[in-house]
Parts: sequence; C-alpha cells; structure tokens
Amino acid sequence: MVTLPDDMFTADVMANPYAYYGSLREADPVHWNELYDLWVITRHDDVVWMTRHHELFSNAVFRNDPRAAYPAIDESDLGLYEYVRDYQADQFIQHDRPEHLEMRKIVHTYFTPRAMETWRPFVQKAVQELLDAVEDHGHMDVMKDLATPLPVLVIAQMMGVPPADRSHVRKLAEKLLYIARGEHDRMKPLTEGMQGMIDYVSPLVEERLVNPGDDFISVLASGEKKGVFTRHQVLVNTSLLLLAGHETTINLLCNGTLAFMRHPEQWALFKQDREGLAQRATEECLRYDPPVKSLQRLATRDVDLRGKTMRKDDRIRWFISSANRDPEAFVDPERFDITRDPNPHVAFGSGVHHCLGATLARVEGQEVFKALAERFPSLHVETETLEYQPSITFRSLKSLPVAWS
Amino acid sequence: MARPLRVWVDHHRCVGNAMCEALLPAVFRLNANRQSEAIDPAGDAEAKILEAAENCPVSAIFVEDAQTGTRLFP
Repeated sequence: MVTLPDDMFTADVMANPYAYYGSLREADPVHWNELYDLWVITRHDDVVWMTRHHELFSNAVFRNDPRAAYPAIDESDLGLYEYVRDYQADQFIQHDRPEHLEMRKIVHTYFTPRAMETWRPFVQKAVQELLDAVEDHGHMDVMKDLATPLPVLVIAQMMGVPPADRSHVRKLAEKLLYIARGEHDRMKPLTEGMQGMIDYVSPLVEERLVNPGDDFISVLASGEKKGVFTRHQVLVNTSLLLLAGHETTINLLCNGTLAFMRHPEQWALFKQDREGLAQRATEECLRYDPPVKSLQRLATRDVDLRGKTMRKDDRIRWFISSANRDPEAFVDPERFDITRDPNPHVAFGSGVHHCLGATLARVEGQEVFKALAERFPSLHVETETLEYQPSITFRSLKSLPVAWS
Repeated sequence: MARPLRVWVDHHRCVGNAMCEALLPAVFRLNANRQSEAIDPAGDAEAKILEAAENCPVSAIFVEDAQTGTRLFP
C-alpha cells in the first residue's frame, strides 16, 4: 500500500506530484484520502470515464458540498468562506446540465477553433515584442517576462480590458489563486481578490450592456439580456474568464519551456523543424507537465469503481497529472517525446466540461515555443532549484530564470 | 432538394463535449463511450450541420458532399 504520507499538500508532493500520484495509481487507483475526506482518482481510463459521465459527478461543488474547507481555515474566517461559496457557485463551470449547457452556449461559439486561429497573428506579434524587450539582456525570467504578460495581454484584448488595467487584473488574479492553496488564513486574500474583481468588472459590464461590442465581456453580458445569467453571474464569469484565460496558459508556457530545457535532445529536434513539430510538441508539453493538476466533483449517486463504492455526495478529486503519465494509456509515459502521436492526454479534461479555452492555449503554446527556438536557440535554465506554488489545482512555477548567448 | 452529405466524427479527436448533440440531436448522438456519432447526415439542414461542425471544440467533425467528395468542413 501507499507508504508516503497521505497528504496532497506537503512540500514534497507540491515539488513532485508525479511520484505521489504515480504510486497511488499503481497501488490504489480509487483511493480514499482520510485526511481531506475525499476520493483520489489517478488512472487515465477512470478520469476519461468520469469526465464523460457528468450526470454521475456534479460540478456544483461549492453550492452543494456541506463539508468545511480543506485544509482547515481559521474559525474567524468561516463567514468569508460563505462569501467564497456564493461567489464560486455562480461560475458557469460550477453548474450541471441543463443549466450548464445554456450557460456554455453563451460563451462557446466565441472560442471555436476557427475563431481562435484568427488570433494567431496577434499572439505572434505579442510574443515577438516581449522577446524584443529582453533580447539584449541575454537572460529573463520566463514567468515574469513572457509566460505571464503574454496570456494576460491576449485575454485582456479579447475582453476589451484597457492596457493600463492589466497589472491590476493580474494582481487580483494572484489573490484568486488562494482558492487552491492550503494556508489557514487564505480566505482574506482570496475574498479581497473576489471583491476586487467584482468592483473592477462591474462598470465594464454595465458599459457593454448599453454599448455592446465584439469583445468577450459583451458576449457574457448578452447572457444577462437572454435571461441565462443573473448580473452577479455575469460579473463572476467575467472574472473567471479573466483568470482562467491566463493562469492556465502561464503554466503551459513555463512548464513546457522547462520540459524542453531538461530534455536537450528534444529541444535540438524541435529546432530542426519548428513549424512541423509545434503542434505535437505543445500537446506533449500539455501531457508531460500539465498546467492543471486536479479537478473536483461531488458524486450524484452511489458509483462503483474498481471494487470501491463512492457514496452519493462524496467528494472526488481526479488527477490529470497522474492520468497523463498512466502507462496503460501512454507508451513510456515518463519520457518527454515531442513526436508522440496519438497523444490522448487529458490536460483540458474531457466531456461536456472540456476546457473552453483549449484552442487559445494551444495557439499561445505553439507560438511561444516556436519563437523561443528561433530566436534563443541556446536557451538554458539558470538555476539548480525550482520552486512551485503550493496549489492543489495549478502546477505553477514561482519563477523560471533562463539565459541565452 | 438538398444535396446528400457525408458526415463523420474522428474518434481520435472527439472528447465527448457533446455540443454537436445538443445543437443537432437528429444528426449527432453520443455512443456508449460518450463520443459523438453522425447518426443521420440528412437529419438537418446543411447550414446547421456546418455550424455544428464549426462549434466542435476539437475540430472532430468532417463534412463532405456525398456525391462529389468535395470537403465542406473543415
């Protein structure tokens, strides 16, 4: 059985989730975690099956989970946690069908693969400008200088957020990331971020309701006019898309760059045929070190899986990081192989909740990796030690210093 | 008389997002693996089928003119 301490929030598991979840996948793939009162799912086939049986596993976690926050929070912050629950519950991703379908329809068409392709030239230009700014320095922090500003710039442009406001939006987003962390006093920064987002997006939404444009806030606001969203839902989902539209891509760009740097033979291969390999290489970055490690659901009824019974209302967390390294689904899964094809990774999930922004993330990943290989072929990591944010959801480096000659 | 279409779903790509089934239940239906099948390419108007194909988030739906083989989507 599992010999490691059964705690997903330890420093060891944050530094290397693959050892812990990999050992669970082999020993006990449908695992009851006593400490946090939830099921931990780690096999690829189980994650795919569960994502595609949305009627058995509810997304309305914050609305319907009566249990306390985990890890435990300060008792004085229980009121703040109620605010967090009300806020989160209005996100469209925290809904099930039929409501989820009506909400998703409002936003879905904006993000079609063809529509996102039209953003590729904008992404290319933005990447070149960011690399121009650091080229003469000979070094940069990928996180600070490239991976963060690029997706923030793109989603801000889509949503019609003025350039001057981008750093404010990013600061609020950093507070929202406390949702997935373990500090006992995390409710204060988290609720500050939530209220700050509501305050920031309210006038933008009000303006778009009166003067709709072709930006994405206008799309969300149209959901209120159609009676699908309440005003609070428009505000919360505008904030959600501002956050989700960049935080995940940040991690794709950093984790992918790191994977290339740690596998020089793959970097060399990529440099020989950037255009030809960009698509498959980006998929492999998404598989090998995915931006989102895990997602949570609630069982809607008793469900039997691998000899265990998950009871109605039980909490369930499935681990993309583990599913993407499952030897039953991938040949030589620990190997970073940018020619891997097919590559049925679940970095974007699957089923009705499959990531809305998947194509946009792919475009940004492809363009960044191509541009780095073209302009900084001698790129290498400049540090021995890497630190990750202590998040159960996001696989997020604190910084990634690199240099070139 | 509408021209006959050939419509199919690439199951290496399909992630069971099910937007096609939600939009055109007469044309697309999820199978036991929760992946989409084109059950009736004549089940709705050509323009609607092309719109459903465009709304597939992973570009898994393909549409052809059944008589000429001309690719209509993507």
